[in-house]
Amino acid sequence: MNAIPIRSSCNIRFTLNGRPVELDVRPEALLLDVLRDRLQLKGARRSCDMQVCGACTVLVDGGPVSACTYLGLEVDGHEVLTVEGLGTEERLHPLQEAFIEHGAVQCGFCTAGMLLTAKALLAEEPSPTLGRVAEYLRGNLCRCTGYRKILDAILSCATPGGEQR
Amino acid sequence: MSARGRFTVVGQSVRRTDALEKVTGRARYLSDLELPGMAHARLLRSPFAHARIVRLEVERARALPGVYAVLAAPDFTWCDAFYGPALRDRPLLATDVVRYEGEPVVAVAAADEATAVEALDLVEVEYEEITAVTTLEEALAPGAPLVHTGEPLAGHFSDLATLKSKPGTNICHQFDYTRGDVKAAFAGAALTLEDTYTFPRIQHYSMEPHGAAASWDDEGGLTVWASTQNPFSVRSELGKMFNLPASRIRIAVPLLGGGFGGKTYAKLEPLAAALARVARRPVRLLASVEDAFRTVRRCSARVTLRLGFQADGGLLAVDCVADFDVGAYADIAPRVIQKGTYTTTGPYRVANVLLHSNAVYTNTTPGGAFRGFGVPQIVWAVESMMDVAAHRLDRDPVDLRRQNLLAHGEEFAPGDTPVDGKLEEGLSRLAEAIQWSQAPPAGRARGLAVMMKASVAPSVSEAIVRLHADGSASVLCSTVEMGQGARTVMAQIAAEVLAIPLARVMVVPPDTSITPYDQTSSSSRSTTMVGRAVQEAAEDVVDQLRRIAARQLGVTTRGLAVVEGAVVGGDSRVSYPDLLDFHFGMRGGELIGRGVVAPGRTAAPLGGSTPFWEVAMGGAEISVDEETGAISVEAYASVSDVGRCINPQQCAAQDEGAVMQGIGHSLYEEMVYEGGQLLNADLAGYRVPRAADVPLRFDSQFVENGDGAGPFGAKGIGEGGLVPVSPAIGNALTRLTGVRLHELPLTPERVWRALRAQRESKEAPKGDGRHV
Amino acid sequence: MLRPFALYRPSTVAEASEVLAREGRETSLYAGGTEVLLILKEGLLRVTSLVDVKRLPGLGEIRSENGHVLIGATATHRALESATVVQARCPMVAGVARHVANIRVRNVGTVGGNLAFADPHSDLATLFLAFDCVVRLEARGRRRELPLAEFVRGPYETAREEDELLTFVRLTPWPAGTTGAYVKFGLYERPTLSVAVALMSGGEGGAITGARVAVGCVGPRPQRAPEVEQRLRGWSPSDVVRHADEVARLAARDIEPVSDLHGSAEYKKDMTRVFVKRTLLVAAARVAGRRQDEHERYPHTIIV
Repeated sequence: MNAIPIRSSCNIRFTLNGRPVELDVRPEALLLDVLRDRLQLKGARRSCDMQVCGACTVLVDGGPVSACTYLGLEVDGHEVLTVEGLGTEERLHPLQEAFIEHGAVQCGFCTAGMLLTAKALLAEEPSPTLGRVAEYLRGNLCRCTGYRKILDAILSCATPGGEQR
Repeated sequence: MSARGRFTVVGQSVRRTDALEKVTGRARYLSDLELPGMAHARLLRSPFAHARIVRLEVERARALPGVYAVLAAPDFTWCDAFYGPALRDRPLLATDVVRYEGEPVVAVAAADEATAVEALDLVEVEYEEITAVTTLEEALAPGAPLVHTGEPLAGHFSDLATLKSKPGTNICHQFDYTRGDVKAAFAGAALTLEDTYTFPRIQHYSMEPHGAAASWDDEGGLTVWASTQNPFSVRSELGKMFNLPASRIRIAVPLLGGGFGGKTYAKLEPLAAALARVARRPVRLLASVEDAFRTVRRCSARVTLRLGFQADGGLLAVDCVADFDVGAYADIAPRVIQKGTYTTTGPYRVANVLLHSNAVYTNTTPGGAFRGFGVPQIVWAVESMMDVAAHRLDRDPVDLRRQNLLAHGEEFAPGDTPVDGKLEEGLSRLAEAIQWSQAPPAGRARGLAVMMKASVAPSVSEAIVRLHADGSASVLCSTVEMGQGARTVMAQIAAEVLAIPLARVMVVPPDTSITPYDQTSSSSRSTTMVGRAVQEAAEDVVDQLRRIAARQLGVTTRGLAVVEGAVVGGDSRVSYPDLLDFHFGMRGGELIGRGVVAPGRTAAPLGGSTPFWEVAMGGAEISVDEETGAISVEAYASVSDVGRCINPQQCAAQDEGAVMQGIGHSLYEEMVYEGGQLLNADLAGYRVPRAADVPLRFDSQFVENGDGAGPFGAKGIGEGGLVPVSPAIGNALTRLTGVRLHELPLTPERVWRALRAQRESKEAPKGDGRHV
Repeated sequence: MLRPFALYRPSTVAEASEVLAREGRETSLYAGGTEVLLILKEGLLRVTSLVDVKRLPGLGEIRSENGHVLIGATATHRALESATVVQARCPMVAGVARHVANIRVRNVGTVGGNLAFADPHSDLATLFLAFDCVVRLEARGRRRELPLAEFVRGPYETAREEDELLTFVRLTPWPAGTTGAYVKFGLYERPTLSVAVALMSGGEGGAITGARVAVGCVGPRPQRAPEVEQRLRGWSPSDVVRHADEVARLAARDIEPVSDLHGSAEYKKDMTRVFVKRTLLVAAARVAGRRQDEHERYPHTIIV
């Protein structure tokens, strides 16, 4: 039986923002800490620490997960996308551009989670209604913006033609 | 300002200067900070609301490999282990007594989180519970157990030098204000109303919890990185505690993931510094969200208000007694009770006023500053009762308010700043925005509320602008960026005055060793006060540029203006780099400008005249699901008198956020204690607004008459939008159902209970404002 | 932050069961982790190992078997939502799965984990009662099946023996001509109250031949309302509409709510009445060919 003894590491290989990564991690290492402390990707953040607020959201095989309550070793063999992989200063993702344009960013702590969740939504439903976006964001809290501009930004990236982004 | 006399970048919704880093994940907050050799800190917190510490053993924890320091109160022989901006009543770690559930008792610094957690597991603490007082009733009862015995020293704020406790009780400060003859006025009033309203304990829930990192250098100097809204206050506190001159303490502030007042005044910084000293290495102490619930909250309150009206609706007299529950340690609550109570009369003209408020200790999380600063608690009562009065006088609520509004330029209180806005205009725009004159759709009703708040005074803000040899500029000011967009606004102001592109202006992050003094990033004051300091500093540079150009061109400064990075006059145009080259005789050097905004003490009741009045009004249209009691806010309009929006989009963004936070405490949020234990110290049990709670129609408007004391006629914004929300919703609820609630939040169950009581009572015609 | 633990990844049920038997309270089952990792972080549970059941063959499947729908314990809520056999045979389950918690929990959290954790505020447990749900428990060399109502004993308490794993959940799809409705109400993260109603009838507007009514989240465990189900037999949709409140009172009478952050017992009792009534009304309207819920929107309420 496959087993990782206590205080031992196991080797994981996964694709991170399009690039292959190999790491040794202990079973108890949370994905959020692996990303932030081992891989220096600080975009995913720890807030509520209990899967409610979405600040720690990353995409695993395109689906949002709460990295704060997800074992790092579970990404072995999978594709992980963090906000750093969404777009760069030179080439912003349309959602990142829209958030800036619409004033949907204030303190920024929820932003990475919002962006990745919106990306997952639009990949599945390219033309959601306002109500659908608000519903999909049930697990993404923001304390600064009052949500209005975040919703506007996401809707501005919805495409009537059903084009995937 | 451009030669053409209109603004080039001020008044534009330019993109935030920090937007790029925030959307790409590159933004750095305290929890991202890593220092070489840094230790990780954790705190052991009291499980009891009130208890004696009878035994404390830390030796096993100290002996654990990888542990660098384990601290408890007896260890602080080498520093002054008490702090607090108003009363220095707060020990670094609980001494012989713990005063609230969650109070830190032991602090550990270790090589990593896991070791720190393990070390805390090895600490042994034995408590002996004492009777706790966890409500105002309990804390104010005669003979109540005292949360604090002994007299703490006064903290570091001048307006609180006259702290007035009531010895032998849990009242740590009292505020009194009176004018006119309240007794005679009530005797002659045609209508007197009296009622009591309560406001709950609310948690800020900044998405980034508190955090601080500290490091001592070899010469005994201290550097602290802190998620704080007022680095200079923290510096002052640490200076006193560790007996260091201000010049040897450096507080550096990264971006904050929210503040809302919860990050004002020392929180984790003293502990981080103490741990770093003993551990002899840098230490980072991060709070979790659960820790934040046990760090600070909004002061809850019980407000008993008496209003006296003339028959024609003139507001004759206001008598207010407010008890604020400030938790186990005073923090800045003494000022909260003052500021909040001082503007009880809000935007109204009232000749006869009697105000008294108490800051009351209880064995709960300390209450401190929170967006609104005592005003939401009072306005919930006042604006609810204005509607009750309107009903009793058979007057339209908008009309009754309009009648009593202070006029532009009218005095609020002797010695204080006259009203700097056109309140009537705001009220009219609000009424229109919520379609007050038209009947609402069936099953809906509207309510509104207005508020006026003073900003902190006296206060000081200084700024430096450095114009570099290449014509770009750095702005040095200590405004903290916590999401409100202050850094962008300061850049806009400097760019406007210097007439250079926004992209060539850099606002240096706050750092007390580099950026000059600013009292605080709170009180809606940064655009007005720091903005003006930046404006003055930039004008100072422009003045120097013009004088240099005058010399270079052999003309007088008259007729010389700055345009697009150059000084122009007549046919001549000299770029800034060329001017500096001329001035210094080489390609180097810089011009430094300075701005100081320090209105000083005045005869105003609070010791300083408010630099501006923050005026905001809100209207809500609601429906109620009577079977469940659930209120839906179908539409909300907010009107704020801001003088000038330096960045309109940012103003709207702040206002929308403020309103949603207001909807939070109006409908959902409440810290629930049971016998001293906090039952909902996490996001599963503490319900904050979500995206689906945003009203379908949501309108933010600004009155811009350029009549503020800030740059380009600006005033403050940020807190006002939150304040009217609860009475606007409460008033709408009464107009819709006839019930009036006196406590918040208006949860479905509370509304359901009130509706049931109404049904069961025999004599309750709709709309009589009958209270429950 | 989690304290260190070993991770077992058995490839057979027997292996898994052996670890459970050997480690006892030092170990815990682990699938999605949305519950167990949280209570480990909170210090409510301390273990020295976890048993990862995601590699057990077949446990992630959702399939049809002898007319039933068989859901593997490690199927996620997301998989449940999109499984064609669920959409075809018991679409209400897909609809409810779509509204569990939030998108992240749905992606990762599993059906088995949800039921085995027995959170009193579980959507799935309420709904599954209306599908005559049976859970399969397996251990080394033995296997048994229990109706869900017997499996869930109380808050966070199930009939699972220490060495047993919940491997499958079997639902009995409703017969053709059944109309269902599911309504949940609540402000907080987990629902305060949920009601599942199924009305079996011969067709549009026809008399009701049978009913399933389940009420959950409001008491220590979800329960069916047999008296209510009995009462509904023989009624027409308009009978249901006429007597909905009276019938709902009957359901509320049998509920024993506990006062907590969601509300007082008194409030919950009345909300049970309100929402059983509303769910009946929605279901009755659907039987009669109208989708009432398109016109009714209640705050903090999800209608499936």
